Amino acid sequence: MATEQNDVELVDGDVVHAFARAALLATLLGAVAPIAIPIPFSPAPITLQVLFVFLAGLLLGPLWGTVSILLYLAAGAIGLPVFAGMAGGLGVLVGDSAGYLWSYPLAACLIGLFVHRGTDLRDPAEISTALVVVALVTATVLIYGMGVGYMAWLLELELWEAITVGALWFVPGELLKIAAAVAIVESGRIDTV
Amino acid sequence: MLEFRSVSFGFDDVGVLDSVSLSIPDGEFVVFAGANGSGKTTLLRHCNGLLDPDEGTVLVDGTPVEDDVIGARTSVGMVFQHPRDQFVAATVGDDVAFGPANLGLERTEIDRRVAEALEAVNLRGREDERIERLSGGEQSRVAIAGALAMEPTHLVLDEPFTGLDEPARRSVMDRLEALAADGTGILLATHDLRDVLALADRVIAMADGRVVVDDSPERALEGLDGLPVRVPRARADLEEQC
Amino acid sequence: MLTYEPGETVVHDLDPRSKLAVQIGFAATALAHTAPRALLGLSVVTAVVLALARVPLLRTLYAYRFALVILAVGPLVAAATLGPPWIDLEAGLATALASYRVLLILLVSAAYVRTTPVRESRAAIQRTIPGKPGQLLGIGVALVFRFLPVVQSDLRTIRDASAARLGTERSARERATTIGLLGLSRTFDRADRLSLALRARCFSWNPTLPALAFSRRDAPVLGIAVALLLTAFL
Repeated sequence: MATEQNDVELVDGDVVHAFARAALLATLLGAVAPIAIPIPFSPAPITLQVLFVFLAGLLLGPLWGTVSILLYLAAGAIGLPVFAGMAGGLGVLVGDSAGYLWSYPLAACLIGLFVHRGTDLRDPAEISTALVVVALVTATVLIYGMGVGYMAWLLELELWEAITVGALWFVPGELLKIAAAVAIVESGRIDTV
Repeated sequence: MLEFRSVSFGFDDVGVLDSVSLSIPDGEFVVFAGANGSGKTTLLRHCNGLLDPDEGTVLVDGTPVEDDVIGARTSVGMVFQHPRDQFVAATVGDDVAFGPANLGLERTEIDRRVAEALEAVNLRGREDERIERLSGGEQSRVAIAGALAMEPTHLVLDEPFTGLDEPARRSVMDRLEALAADGTGILLATHDLRDVLALADRVIAMADGRVVVDDSPERALEGLDGLPVRVPRARADLEEQC
Repeated sequence: MLTYEPGETVVHDLDPRSKLAVQIGFAATALAHTAPRALLGLSVVTAVVLALARVPLLRTLYAYRFALVILAVGPLVAAATLGPPWIDLEAGLATALASYRVLLILLVSAAYVRTTPVRESRAAIQRTIPGKPGQLLGIGVALVFRFLPVVQSDLRTIRDASAARLGTERSARERATTIGLLGLSRTFDRADRLSLALRARCFSWNPTLPALAFSRRDAPVLGIAVALLLTAFL
């Protein structure tokens, strides 16, 4: 069993495992882009992408959750149809919705830090619901802050105008996603890495 | 040569091992029989260091696996149950190139290995096709090619026929027969022994983490009675083919 | 849907890194300028890029329809004012110009998407970003490309099954929870199997990188990219 390839540096088993989950969660984030669920009292149907941003932070933690979302953004940047409306391309990452997209990795990281207090992951089912809700609400504020702020700058809109276009209609949907994310982690049916 | 020396392993969801000792010479076609949870998957995952034994040692060509994991993974190619979840690239050629590229080989050497591996599974010339558009049998063969591109001495296949229809199963069997004829050692775990016994040099049956039968196919059949494996057809096939 | 299509155009033959550089230069200058004259110049560049890459305009606009809605609504919202005179044309025009440049940026990136296979993009990532991050990002996008149809079909199965079993009457929250939970557990099962296969195939930090080479025709393109970037500071 003579090996000539002594300088091959294998990726550690734990890293491979976390990386595979991060990559496939990024895929899932892209695959749900076309799924829209209509909700009452809002003209805008919800999409589930933010739900999976939440779950990335909750289940993969601050490091691999962030890696997962960055993989998603990179896949979209090179043209895979993973952004809203199954669009792709580098332009989307500076376009009207770029503020939202760039907020996702930060939001996942923030949730991960809040809930796990570091890169050693805790079982999210055992973390108090209140803490999870606070983390998700803070992340939602971050997402909309960056999304609306960038849109206002890019399109030369007043802040309240940008809020009208980019946030107001979506608030009921966001509450629903927070509830769904809490239900999923508390079900205890999905283990962390 | 693969050697298990008193290998024990516990607390894994795919089964436990209880002091297993075995040695498998190069070029042998070995069929592993046994129910789910009997330990055959756990045993096979020790061949290339995907699992490390709690006690005992696994040796590949005389070297303990933990001393040369890369060597073990190169010498022992492994194909798992769900081919769809084993691919890392969207097209056939790129996927088969993944293993050799990880070894840091020259580009021309990688291309040569991809071509040879695809030739061995009857998929030469299909490099640019999308894997997702291939049939189940073709996907299984691409997964085998991905392992062959490492130029292993042994090929381990864990339940490779799950979900395949009869023609697809035949096409995979046919390729395994050709590989075995070329001298590649085959370790095939399956609970479905139809027509594989005719190819086998040896049958190892496991139950509760122990080897309960280790014999030539003809004699092993006696011991397989009472084990939850699909033998009646196999016995008929064997009588027909031998 | 806007995706890569094999072809013989000059843009297909360029190195993906040159094409990425042009996009970055173009986006930088477009984000810095909204004056009508600058937009005219950028429009000409966009038209040339689209023509060289043979990008079908209508299909591309349709692919970006979600963005187009915002870009169209933006100027209207900007122009509307509470109280007389009800319409502020100047504000509306400013937003319209700002929106238009975003459209141009999207169209230029469409030329990249249409002419660059994922394999080349992956090579560009692994060769541009050094070390472990580049390797993870490169293999990661290859995995997203590989598994996108698989996960999409999983999601279809989940939606069909839950519609058949429980109907479409359930609350939106329940539907989101079901899709999230089942989608995630299936996806993580696949990931766990994938990670075994990656390890068995010697997934390493320092593989042979995919082939990629600049050719002579990339030189002027890189020059254009730098020129575009510099105009951002004008």
